[in-house]
Amino acid sequence: MALNFTINTSNPPLGALLAAEHVKGSVQVSVEEGKDTRLHVSDAIQFNDANSISRYLARVAPSLGLYGANMMEQTEVDHWLEFSARRLCGQPGLTVALGELDKALSLRTFLVGHAITLADLSVWAALKGHKEWPNQGKSFSHVNRWFSFLSSQVPFSSVENKYTTKKA
Amino acid sequence: MPMYQVKPICGAHAETDLPTCMYKLPNIHAQKGNSCTPEHALQNGEVDPAVKALEARQDEIMRKLHELKAAVEGLAKTVTTPDADLDLTVSSSLSESASSTTFKGVTDLDNVLGKDLGALRDIVINANPAQPPLSLLVLHSLLCQRYRVLSTVHVHSSVSGVPPQLLSCLGPRHADSYARHMFQLGFTLIWKDVPKLQMKFSVQNMCPIEGEANVARFLFKLLAPYPSDPALATMVDSWVDTAFFQLAEGSTKERSTVLRALNSALGRNPWLAGQEFSLADIACYCCVLQSGSASAAPANVQRWIKSCENLGHFSPAKLLLQ
Repeated sequence: MALNFTINTSNPPLGALLAAEHVKGSVQVSVEEGKDTRLHVSDAIQFNDANSISRYLARVAPSLGLYGANMMEQTEVDHWLEFSARRLCGQPGLTVALGELDKALSLRTFLVGHAITLADLSVWAALKGHKEWPNQGKSFSHVNRWFSFLSSQVPFSSVENKYTTKKA
Repeated sequence: MPMYQVKPICGAHAETDLPTCMYKLPNIHAQKGNSCTPEHALQNGEVDPAVKALEARQDEIMRKLHELKAAVEGLAKTVTTPDADLDLTVSSSLSESASSTTFKGVTDLDNVLGKDLGALRDIVINANPAQPPLSLLVLHSLLCQRYRVLSTVHVHSSVSGVPPQLLSCLGPRHADSYARHMFQLGFTLIWKDVPKLQMKFSVQNMCPIEGEANVARFLFKLLAPYPSDPALATMVDSWVDTAFFQLAEGSTKERSTVLRALNSALGRNPWLAGQEFSLADIACYCCVLQSGSASAAPANVQRWIKSCENLGHFSPAKLLLQ
C-alpha cells in the first residue's frame, strides 16, 4: 500500500516531510507537489495538518519508535508537537519559547528519551522554517548544539537540500 | 647446648578410658608421658561455662537479626505495594465501582506507567480559573470510576477569588485523604495564573506537559488504549487538536467550519472515531459546550450531543457551566 503525500510547495511541511523520510524504509510514501498539504490514506481518511500526518507516519512504522517508547514518552512527544505548531510558528514570543526549549535541552541529547522522535523532527522543522531563528540561535547554546547536531544527519540534510531552497 | 629435662608432672602411665568404637593409634606422646592439661579435660568432657555463655549470646544475636529481617521485608512490601495488606479493608470502605464497562481493553497502571515505586503517582495540573479545563474534569470522574483516586484542589497565591464551584469541582474531600498509600492515583488540581494549562507528572523523566489537549490524551490512555489502527488513532488525535484549537480558540468562521465537519463525520458514524466512543468525542463535546455553539449546531451534531449526555459522563462539565 503506497501512501500518497501531497505537499504545498510554497510552504512545505518540513516536519511531516522529515517523518516521511524516516519511515520510507518501512512504508512506501510517494511525495507529490501540489497546492495544499494532504496525506491520502484511503478514500474515507485523509489528513491535512502536519502534526496529524507526522503522527500517522510514526504509527504505521512503530518499530522506528518515532512516537516514543512508552506512554510517558508519547505524552512528551504530544507536548512538543503542540509546542512546535503553536509556540514556535506564531511570530510573537519566540524568545520565551526558545528559553523554555533551551532549558529542556540542557540535560538532553534528544528532546524525548534517548533517540530521535517526532518531537525532534517537528521542533527542528519549526525552527528551520522560522525567519527569526538564525539571529536568535547564538543566545541559546543548548538549542544551537541540538539543532546543528540534527542538521548534520542524513534525513535532515537531505530534506533541507530538497525543500528549503525552493521556498526562497 | 643440651636442654635440661623436666620430670613428668603426673604419673607416667595414667589410664584413660578410650572409646571402643574407634581404632587405636600408637601414642605419639609416649615418651613425654600423657600430658593432659586442665583445658583439654574441659573440652573433652564438661563445656567451659564461658563458651556456653558465648554460644547463647550468638544464638540471641541471630534471633534478633532474623526478627529484623522479617520486619524490613514487611516494610518493603507495604512500600512497594501500597495497598498490599490493606486491600480487604480498604476496598469495601471506598466503595469503588471497578466494574465500569464504559471502556473496553482494561489498562493496568503498572503496564502503562511502569513499575510502581512506592510513592503515590500524583498527577499535578496547573490550570487557569479563567479557562476551567472541562475535558479534564470529565476524564477525572471517569478515572475515579476505575481507580482509587486521591483528588485535591488548591489555589496558588498568583490568583485570588476563585469561585466556589471551581474549588469543589473534583467532588468532596475524601474521608481517607490522610492515608495516601491507600490510593492508586493522585489528582491534584492547582488553580494558578498560567498562560497555558500544565501537567507535571514523574518530573525526573518527563518535561512538564503543556496544553489541555495533551493532558487529556495522557489521562485517556490511563482509561483505555488508543485504537490499534494507525488511521483511527490519528483521527482521534486530529479531532482533539481541532476541538481545542479551532472550536475553543478559533473565530466564529472557523467554528462553523468545524461544526460542518463534525456534522458530516457524525452522518457516517455514531461517534467521531467510528463505532466506539473515544477521546475525540469527549474533547469535541466539551469544546462545543464551552464555545456555546451547542444550540446552533446542525442535526447530526445535536443527535450526537444527546448521545453523549446519555452516557452520563459529562455531569462534572455541565455543573461548571451553570
